[in-house]
Amino acid sequence: MPFEIPKIKYTGRIKEVTIGSGNKAIKVGGESCFPFYTFEGEMPNLPKIAFEVWDSEPHDWQNWAKEPYIDVLHDPVLWAKKCIDVFGAEMIALQLISADPNGADRHIEEVVRVVKDVADAIDCPLIVWGTSNDEKDAILLRRVAEVCEGKNIAIGPVSDKNYKQIGASAIGYNHVVMASTPIDVNLAKQLNILLGNLGVKEEKILMDPTSGALGYGLEYTYSVMERDRMAALTQEDTKLQYPIICNVAQEVWKTKETRITEKEDPKLGDEKKRSILMEAITAMTLLLAGADILIMRHPESIKLIKDMIKELI
Amino acid sequence: MKRHRIRFLPLDIVYTAEDEENLLDLALRVGVHINASCGGFGTCARCRVKLIEGEIEFRGKNDTPRLDNRENFILACQSYIKGDATIEIPLESRIDRTALEARKELNVLPASTGAISLNAIDPDPMVFKKFISLDPQGLRENIDDLSSILKTLEKDYPQTHIKVSLDALKKLPFALRSANWQATATLFYQHDDIEIINFEPEDTTERQYALAIDIGTTTVCGRIIDIKADKKRGARILGEVSDYNAQISYGDDVITRIMHTKKKGGLKRLQDAVVQTINSIIDELIDNTHISREDITLMVAAGNTTMTHLFIGVEPQYIMLEPYTPCFLFPPVVKAIEIGLRLNKDTPVFLIPCVASYVGGDIVAGVMAAELHKADGFNLFIDIGTNGEIVLSGPSWMLCASCSAGPALEGGGIKHGMRATKGAIEQIRINPLTFEPAILTIGHTKPSGICGSGLIDLIAEMFSTGMLSQNGKINRDLISDRIREKDGIWEYVLCHGEDTLTGKDITISEADIDNIMRAKAAMFAGCKVLLDISKIHFNEIDRVYIAGGFGHFIDPVKAQTIGLLPDMPVEKFKFIGNGSLQGASLYALSKEYVRAAERIVKMMTNIDLSKHSSFMEEFMAAMFLPHTDERLFPDTFKKLKKKDM
Repeated sequence: MPFEIPKIKYTGRIKEVTIGSGNKAIKVGGESCFPFYTFEGEMPNLPKIAFEVWDSEPHDWQNWAKEPYIDVLHDPVLWAKKCIDVFGAEMIALQLISADPNGADRHIEEVVRVVKDVADAIDCPLIVWGTSNDEKDAILLRRVAEVCEGKNIAIGPVSDKNYKQIGASAIGYNHVVMASTPIDVNLAKQLNILLGNLGVKEEKILMDPTSGALGYGLEYTYSVMERDRMAALTQEDTKLQYPIICNVAQEVWKTKETRITEKEDPKLGDEKKRSILMEAITAMTLLLAGADILIMRHPESIKLIKDMIKELI
Repeated sequence: MKRHRIRFLPLDIVYTAEDEENLLDLALRVGVHINASCGGFGTCARCRVKLIEGEIEFRGKNDTPRLDNRENFILACQSYIKGDATIEIPLESRIDRTALEARKELNVLPASTGAISLNAIDPDPMVFKKFISLDPQGLRENIDDLSSILKTLEKDYPQTHIKVSLDALKKLPFALRSANWQATATLFYQHDDIEIINFEPEDTTERQYALAIDIGTTTVCGRIIDIKADKKRGARILGEVSDYNAQISYGDDVITRIMHTKKKGGLKRLQDAVVQTINSIIDELIDNTHISREDITLMVAAGNTTMTHLFIGVEPQYIMLEPYTPCFLFPPVVKAIEIGLRLNKDTPVFLIPCVASYVGGDIVAGVMAAELHKADGFNLFIDIGTNGEIVLSGPSWMLCASCSAGPALEGGGIKHGMRATKGAIEQIRINPLTFEPAILTIGHTKPSGICGSGLIDLIAEMFSTGMLSQNGKINRDLISDRIREKDGIWEYVLCHGEDTLTGKDITISEADIDNIMRAKAAMFAGCKVLLDISKIHFNEIDRVYIAGGFGHFIDPVKAQTIGLLPDMPVEKFKFIGNGSLQGASLYALSKEYVRAAERIVKMMTNIDLSKHSSFMEEFMAAMFLPHTDERLFPDTFKKLKKKDM
């Protein structure tokens, strides 16, 4: 009798979600196997990387993080264009940092104008990431949905506190929502159910399980994502069969390990290389756990990840 | 019993009513919506219906507003059915037929339908009276009184060691001589040993009563049972009384009580408090039943492990200290005088044995009342209380677990929550179009709060009428003057102040709902983990016994709608009410149950849920209405979806 490699029997499939419009629109999800287990099932759409762009000039970034974008950091439109034209970005994630009520608390309409400018200037899919402040996002993202009508952008994070307002605008203006929950399978599922009850279509939901950076709870995120995927693919848990997005960049680049220079602590080695690897390893781990979209910062770590994806397929 | 046919117009549906049944009770029972705000007290006049024809007796209170007789309007809550009748529901109470169809499945289970009935049992108690007639001829032989008695008894109980208590001995000479050598001895039978604990003149074997007590953390319930051996009639309950446990002034829950024992004299104070409560219950029972205190031959009490320790004055503090072990599980039999109970000095007081620190004699008693130890197949026993206890039984094994559900389902920690006593709203239906409620209170008085069964109804109704989303948040988009935001918190007004006893609105807020969700989630998660550990699926469970003092009945469908009870056919549910009291009664009645209790304790394996990582996970999954996993509640979801259409 010939030897047969034991195979997992999958009973579920991740839904396919399209972001953007026109010929540059991107489709994610659709997997019928665990991440990169293509010998057992299909992975019709490869994971995608979104380049992070801030809505205002970042002041506390490390010099080695600023370096690739030093000429465009003051202008989100130029920044986004450089990501696409120079670094080959397929997707842009605009982070609405300046709107944060605990930070600059910039006026909603000013921020909305930035979003509109960026959205109009690029032709690749756009992710708009709010402030994670439930009240502010409820109003801000509703306006964002309005001005981006027709572009099928992804808006979020959507929480159980503001899913009604943001979900309703996403339905109204035909956008994708990013359902964000604090590292818990059941909470993730509950929010997906609530969005479904509201009328958000299945192909319009991405899940944000909340990610931690390497050394900062990554294993926790990993195991929750792993269980999300197990439930979705092998236990027919339809309410978890959504593509996963991870906002990696901000988590990684705020850690101590990406901030200390070699001069301050020689045994940690070169700071630039170290930071890039921190981002790449975090991203790689999340891909193996099931991420479909990663929001990343440094062109070099992004390149490493893209190479890895190519090699794994 | 006589039954009558009641036709409701304009629905044109006929329901069968019991003779003398209250019209509003009937309407709620069968699911015909009639607005009602005062709980059946007869003051709000919202439940007016038109009597088209038939025999209805109006028993109005003096202050009930007179209704226009010409129009033939009557108040449903003040109307009692005496014959067939046709009733028209007025416009303000009407809901459309589709909504009515959807809410047809009403399966209210009254208390004690699930427990074994006492009169099915041949009394064979551990303590019983024995009539002794000595032959005055034989007495000339100069034998002492006691030897004469022992000699007579030895004939009936060969091979048994018979001894006598001092108190009984003191009574013996007078008992024998005052009734011409005819006396009655009270015998306490234990294994191969008999102790004579009382002597009375004449034959008093006709008068033998047992006292059964459920010592709850919050409430103490007592019952007098006639236990004389009478095969024809079986045992009879003569009276029942309940009162708050006086220990409440030293803390609401078991943990704070234990903390109190650490204070100087604390243990004694707690023991005195509960003994005092029981003594006043005994007094009241004697008053109500006109029996004599001397004829109470034994007492059996059941309580959780802490209550059991406190009742006999044994230090309970190690229950809450690592490794969480109590002083004892099998309590000794004590005599009434030792703990200060107002009974005969030597009356034995039995306590039902416990299983673990957080699974006490009350659960063993409940399991006994549900006869789980004799049952075939897989059975689930759920005691809904501050500490929720769950027992899963299979052929010759039992698993038990306790989970902290919090007092919400007993009305604790809920702004307008209360115990299931007079004035508590215990049944609620909400009109899905107008959100007007129909409420019924215990005792048909003006409402003063909501008890557990009312809260289950309320959440289920709010959810199925779309007022609540699955995460237990009130739908802010609904237009109703009953839904409002007050001091930043959203709430639903169940009763307006003019209809309540206190004159204040009775409301339920999102914070209250959250507490109830936590309680139900803990209960369900406990069941789920216990079943998962045993690798048994809910489908395989044959029966579910529900015990608890949250109300006088439970509607399993409503409890399933909120995800408190598992999704399974309603006929599998049995409600046994106060299982602890029923079990204590059985224990008092027959030695068979004394052995059963011991066997149950030995059969039971305690599972510590706090050591199971899946408990927290299941808890989160259950913090949703009815549950995050639709597959666990297929029928409930089917019903809910039908309503949406």
